[in-house]
Amino acid sequence: MKGTGLIRTCFIAAICVSPALAASNPPTAQLLFHANLTSSVTLVFQNNPNAGSTGYCALINSGANFVGLNLGNASQVVPDDQACVRYLSGSSSYTVSSAFDVVVTITNSRSPSYSLAAQISTASPSGVTWTLNGTGLSTSFKTIQTANPYVSPITQTLGVNVQRAVAAQTLFESVNFLATAN
Amino acid sequence: MRTQIPFISLLATSVLITVSFNAEGQTTATGTVDALLIHNSGISLVFDTNTSGVALGTSGAAATTLNFGAISAFGALVAGVTRSAVLSNFFTVGTLFNIQVQEGGATSTSYRLTAQLSAASPAGFSCAVDGVTLGTASSQIQSSAAYNTDVQHALNLTISTAAPGAGGPALNTPLTTTLNFTATAN
Repeated sequence: MKGTGLIRTCFIAAICVSPALAASNPPTAQLLFHANLTSSVTLVFQNNPNAGSTGYCALINSGANFVGLNLGNASQVVPDDQACVRYLSGSSSYTVSSAFDVVVTITNSRSPSYSLAAQISTASPSGVTWTLNGTGLSTSFKTIQTANPYVSPITQTLGVNVQRAVAAQTLFESVNFLATAN
Repeated sequence: MRTQIPFISLLATSVLITVSFNAEGQTTATGTVDALLIHNSGISLVFDTNTSGVALGTSGAAATTLNFGAISAFGALVAGVTRSAVLSNFFTVGTLFNIQVQEGGATSTSYRLTAQLSAASPAGFSCAVDGVTLGTASSQIQSSAAYNTDVQHALNLTISTAAPGAGGPALNTPLTTTLNFTATAN
């Protein structure tokens, strides 16, 4: 067939050409890639250097962004059973609290500082108020600090105030923190 | 003659591959602290100085002292001590003090107060709280007292006028008695 012969001829020609070319130009290949570098920020909780002393309980899973804090057993008339918990009792309520450090790190950014906000995940029972640095928390994010330096541990004090009339119960709360680059 | 042409490698070519990594910049970071407190109920008892009575050694504490000072049937008494009766065979001196029972998280609305002596009174000497003469067995002082407020109580000492060794207490020697109070939630 004429067409087949033409194809065969072309193919043969290509085969005849290629060895010569191969000898003069070694096989090469190029891989060219593009990447867009972006900034990123991370937040971790870590024990305060005073951990173990009054007011500074050790965190569970310190160094991570998801930690636990055990505030022990307490009542209006009996102080907390954990020495590391700071316990204050007044005429109408008592407060237990503990401090830890927050470390926020940012890379590839000109941001000079960050703001920190906090919220509680679920509404507290009546007569119970979770606080951060003395500021009452709600289920909406509340700004705690507006210009914290990166990398430096910033001490935060988490507490809970319980009114005298609150019945005995387990008080559990997930406190969410949000760091936003300025 | 047909030439067998072996299949050889293809021509080398330049290959241009573009790989792009596009990601939005991250400006926020989050973390969570799970906090737990076991909130208990409880009551506690403290003694407070009554403004009309003898000043307590430590007001507001669960353990304190009350000093009657020098007492006698006819001599001067210290501030806050009163003499209510002088009879032929005994006299009575007394003072006021407060008890406050604090509660938190309890469903109880009142408490019962009892008291007893830690040891028998010295000879010729007896004491009573709110008119209830105390012994080493527990005696009820109040059946339903209010929490979180000072409740006034009267402590009276009844002393025999008999001579020491003849039924009267020792002279010029401190007479010390410990009273134990218990508050029980109703």
